Amino acid sequence: MKYALSFALNGLRVDILVKPTDTLLDLLREQLRVTSAKRGCDDGDCGACTVLLDGEPVRACLTIAPTVAGKEVTTVEGLSKEGKLHPLQKSFHEHAASQCGFCTPGMLMSAKALLDKNPNPTREEIVEFMSGNLCRCGTYEEVVEAIQAVASGR
Amino acid sequence: MRDVSYFAPTEVGEAVKLLAEYGERATVLAGGTDLVPRINYYELRPEVLLYIGGLGLDYIREEDEKLVIGAATPMARLAASDLVAEKASALAKAARQCGSAAIRTTATIGGNLANASPASDLAPPLLVMGAELRLASAREQRVVAVKDFFTGPGETVLKPDELIVEIHVPLPKGKTVFLKLGRRKAQTLSLTSVAVRLEMDGKVCDDARIALGSMAPTPLRCTKAEGLIKGKALDRALIAECATKAVAESNPIDDQRATAWYRKKTGTALVARALAQAAGIES
Repeated sequence: MKYALSFALNGLRVDILVKPTDTLLDLLREQLRVTSAKRGCDDGDCGACTVLLDGEPVRACLTIAPTVAGKEVTTVEGLSKEGKLHPLQKSFHEHAASQCGFCTPGMLMSAKALLDKNPNPTREEIVEFMSGNLCRCGTYEEVVEAIQAVASGR
Repeated sequence: MRDVSYFAPTEVGEAVKLLAEYGERATVLAGGTDLVPRINYYELRPEVLLYIGGLGLDYIREEDEKLVIGAATPMARLAASDLVAEKASALAKAARQCGSAAIRTTATIGGNLANASPASDLAPPLLVMGAELRLASAREQRVVAVKDFFTGPGETVLKPDELIVEIHVPLPKGKTVFLKLGRRKAQTLSLTSVAVRLEMDGKVCDDARIALGSMAPTPLRCTKAEGLIKGKALDRALIAECATKAVAESNPIDDQRATAWYRKKTGTALVARALAQAAGIES
């Protein structure tokens, strides 16, 4: 049985049919072809599928699709405006805060969630908040520096 | 492929009616952080998904010397609550150390208990504070103490038609401390965790509660160790003896996260440290 689901994705209204056991990640990647959120572990551990749900960071892989009814989902596709990169995207680029790039969309969404709540985090606060986003290339230092640069307006 | 039904009721009455109708065929979904991995990995094939995130069970209130917490209150809200931090700091600390930021957005206090993991982060602090669960079904409402709730790994006294609605936490007397050891500092399951609550009169311990996580098939109250220090003046030697006794009451296992040997060694150190902190003694 499929269920009608309406929600907002990056400011656009989406009406679609989903199975109750589809996750938001299945919906984004397989049905909507919005592929910035990555399927790393499907277990909530790696953070590569992190998106914002009503502004709060969540794991798309752990979010049952019909539960986002009436809510606003934001992915990396919603970060840049009119062809201009979001300051975090720009800073990640300038600080070489990604290598293979697989973790980067999740990192960006977590970083946005952090700075939206806490515009001037300490290094410890950044490290703690970003602990849920794993990077196998080991770009952690560059990620912290990129976030610090945005926070301090550099 | 089997058809799965999905319900998202908006009232507790409606939810328990659905539970009465579907019973064991229904799977209750709150934050989903423990449940959805099992669906993703085909360990669980739900027939009926009952989403309780729309029941309005997301609140923290102070009432009659108690914190009253809605069962669907997320960890992030517990972690950010000034009320919880001020009145039940061990609970706030446990919530702050649960999973990662994105997990805490959705993971709920009720789910953390209903999932009945021996490594539940909230169970040890709730045990030392003598918390009670309010359960609802279409038949009755009942109250179960957290200490009577767990029956084994993943098992509780919750019946198939029952829902955890609220958690009542008596405002703790004395000082509470929560300490957790994982394989890393953050986003980690506990290898061992401990909560203590001490009521001190100068150096004398008037009352003591000690609870361990990840050290037995269920979160564990260590009543013998509590008895050892009640009514006595605490010093480092007695604290060390008490910590040894607490861990002697436990029954940890070897698993992929740690050996039983390591859990006992570190658990003893953790209990001693928590007791010293709660008693205001340098450890």
